[in-house]
Amino acid sequence: MNYPVWFLPEIGGGMLMAIIAITHVFVSHIAVGGGLYLVLTEMKARRENDFQMLEFVKKHSKFFMLVSMVYGGVTGVGIWFTIGLIQPDATSELIHTFVFGWAAEWVWFLVEIVALLVYYYKFNSMDERNHIRVGWIYFAAAWLSLFLINGIIGFMLTPGEWINNHNFWSGFFNPTFWPSLWFRFAIATLLAGVFAFFTTAFIDSKAFRHKMTRYTSLWCLISTAVVIPTGYWYLKALPPMAQEIVSVSPTIANSIKVGAFSTALFIILVTICTFWKPKLHNLITACVVSLCAISMMGSFEWIREAGRRPYVISQQRYSNGIPLSRVAELNNGFLAQSKWSTVTEVDDTNLEQAGAELFKFQCYACHTLDGVNNDIRIRTANSTFNGMVKYLGVMHEKRPFMPPFIGSDIEKQALAAYLVGTLHGKEITLAPTAGGNIGQQILDDECTMCHGSDLVVDWADGMSVADVTQGLLTLSEIDSSMEDFSGSAEQLNALVALLTGTAVANSEPAFDGGGFLSDDCAMCHGLDLVYEWASDLTQEQVADGLRNLSQIDSSMEDFSGTDVELEAVSTFIVTEAKGGTQ
Amino acid sequence: MSLVPTPDQLPMARGYFDALLLLTFPLHLLFMNAMIGSAVIALWSHWRKDPVSERLAYELAKALPLLIAFTINFGIPPLLFAQVIFGHYIYSSSVIIGVFWLMVIPVLLVVYFGAYLYDFKFWSMGRKGLPILAIVIALMASIGFIFTNNMTLMLDPEAWKAYFNHSGGAYLNLKEATLYPRYIHMMIGACAVGSLSVACLSRLWTKKDPEVAQRGLSIGMRLFFVTTCAQLIAGIWFLLSLPADIMKIFMGRSPLASAIFILALVAVIAVLVTAWQKKLLLCSILTVVLVYLMTFMRAFVREGYLAKTYVTQAVETNQDYTPLGLFVVTLVIGIALVAWMVKVTLNCDERTS
Repeated sequence: MNYPVWFLPEIGGGMLMAIIAITHVFVSHIAVGGGLYLVLTEMKARRENDFQMLEFVKKHSKFFMLVSMVYGGVTGVGIWFTIGLIQPDATSELIHTFVFGWAAEWVWFLVEIVALLVYYYKFNSMDERNHIRVGWIYFAAAWLSLFLINGIIGFMLTPGEWINNHNFWSGFFNPTFWPSLWFRFAIATLLAGVFAFFTTAFIDSKAFRHKMTRYTSLWCLISTAVVIPTGYWYLKALPPMAQEIVSVSPTIANSIKVGAFSTALFIILVTICTFWKPKLHNLITACVVSLCAISMMGSFEWIREAGRRPYVISQQRYSNGIPLSRVAELNNGFLAQSKWSTVTEVDDTNLEQAGAELFKFQCYACHTLDGVNNDIRIRTANSTFNGMVKYLGVMHEKRPFMPPFIGSDIEKQALAAYLVGTLHGKEITLAPTAGGNIGQQILDDECTMCHGSDLVVDWADGMSVADVTQGLLTLSEIDSSMEDFSGSAEQLNALVALLTGTAVANSEPAFDGGGFLSDDCAMCHGLDLVYEWASDLTQEQVADGLRNLSQIDSSMEDFSGTDVELEAVSTFIVTEAKGGTQ
Repeated sequence: MSLVPTPDQLPMARGYFDALLLLTFPLHLLFMNAMIGSAVIALWSHWRKDPVSERLAYELAKALPLLIAFTINFGIPPLLFAQVIFGHYIYSSSVIIGVFWLMVIPVLLVVYFGAYLYDFKFWSMGRKGLPILAIVIALMASIGFIFTNNMTLMLDPEAWKAYFNHSGGAYLNLKEATLYPRYIHMMIGACAVGSLSVACLSRLWTKKDPEVAQRGLSIGMRLFFVTTCAQLIAGIWFLLSLPADIMKIFMGRSPLASAIFILALVAVIAVLVTAWQKKLLLCSILTVVLVYLMTFMRAFVREGYLAKTYVTQAVETNQDYTPLGLFVVTLVIGIALVAWMVKVTLNCDERTS
């Protein structure tokens, strides 16, 4: 919208971010915890005059330097490049808000580099006291880097009072700052131990390998003992909305399971294979333990990222980069206000082209097209055009982790036309917006640009047909900014009928059970699932089930229509389940 | 509708960020130049088979990963401050060349690990290390080319229309008239200043290996003189390739820019004279001054390009200086810690030598 969208439909920005971020986050935490591991182990070695252990620390520091400084440093810049490419709006906001936080973080990164280089290259030549001091400087700089980054990342999830006062410190010391800091620090020390398992696996002397493996296992187990309560503290500190997202999102539910399983397996492996029986430790064990740790970390980061939805910066900017402050303005016409759209005016001749642009600006941030991650073609396979139009209006309510559709009614139809027509070749019928009610269409199209339709309905409440007709024909007398109604007699009658309540009785069509299923159920699952469920049920049982859908799956809402509508839907389902209309 | 995005509000007056950008960018350039110059001289020395040259190549091989680390690190503040002032230009141009822009990261990783491989396996690989270093240099040059593409594209919103045919980011700004002269100007400049930095580094090896120190000083100063002369030609080419209205900024349209241009020309002559006289310290100081002057000229060129499209950023009404205080305090502590570490390192070097 404000910025161009880097459009790689089969890959998606999320995938790019994941590739760089997952490994960077892993390594950057190792860089913090590893500093502590190195200096404490060196102190232990010097205290015990253990030259074998000292040599181990030197060897480990070389490996550590290559992984944390080279890979960690470059991928850290890589994340910056990536977020600038896939979320330029949000990146700009973060840079402008925390520029001096980032700048301070750069200073600690510089200190880290100098300290690590001195620590490794002068391991044998520097005197003991100064070398240990350099080790502590490295750890302090790395920890302070974490301290600063943690404030900024936490801000994105829980901006706290910053939303009201836009104060740097309110955003930085946000509600999840402290639990997140200690949780991440505990994770960092744990990962440092996991990383050290790779070095211990290559120790030649059997006795010394067992000694260092056991030492590292103890390090990991102590870290895990801190990770669990701080992780719980962090989850409890999440705001209610994020907790709701965490509880309703099916992908988060899976992540929680994966995280719990990985943690359990990690504890078992570290307890048995490395602490209790260090002779079982080798490169394979190191790899499996490290996979468990990556899985634990990945689950946490996924939950954190997903819990932020539908925002990229909570309560400030939606996942697709649109700021909340501009929603009302953009609802008057999104594309007309988008600098980088090829379509600015939408009509029935360019509906699908406009829809493709809307997909790029509003959906692509989370959905790929024919890609692995959240493929929009699969997600929209069951929908009809009218069902999609209806769904786009309520999707943020049905799925609170999704942002609302932002744009005018015709743009909503355009997006639906693209998602249903272009992607699936289904028929697009530009029906009047209110299911055939011309009066409603005029009300929506002509009145709501300037004021809510409720205002019109309230005005007409209790008035006679003649008075409403007269009022519409002389609107300029009510407010000089309005024009007198100038449509056809048929349109005028339809609008009057709507406002005086006569239209409903005259034009209400029979309830279409099949249409309801297509519009309200097919967005989330195929209709085959419904028919399969109903195959052995009576109509009464189906009707009862529809009234209690939330008991079948908590993500569904109970049917809330009238008894007549319920009968129509249940009859349709039972008929289809028995093999269709005979 | 203009394609230039609406910028975010500045947290403080623009002058602070301009100053920080102009202060930090030359530091990045100096390390980048030292990195490229060291790599090129290491390649040339390694190519020659005599033992002194080979030892020089090894000393440079050891320095190269460190120079890469500091080049990356000192690249962060100028990019950060540039994003504050010109983010709405940089993000847009970066997206348009997205594929190449992001390629910088994996290429940089290969460069970094390649440099460490060349260092750690220098003696065991022998001449097999040469192609590795050649690839590292080629990749460094390719990163420079991508940066020049982005930095020229950000200045020309008219060229951003290419996005509508290349929304996948597989685009380079090859139609830009100043692209090649600008890139060649940067690369020759990097070789020049890099050569001088090799001469400076050689001073550190005087006690340890006088022959290598003398060879490094000699090659560094000579290559610096030759490439600086070549840089004069490349600089004139770059100047002439600029649009006339921007070139004229240095021809009197802007008194300050013109004065800086003249100062830079004087500095170039002074640098060449001192290089010819092999006055290393004076030549180095003048070169640092010259790099700063060139950076100021670069800023004038950028302002000239953006004059027509620059969207003035509003400044936050409630300016808060405490975050700046955080940065300054952190910087002072950081510099003190780095100074202490450098001091104890040099002390221990003296003791061991």
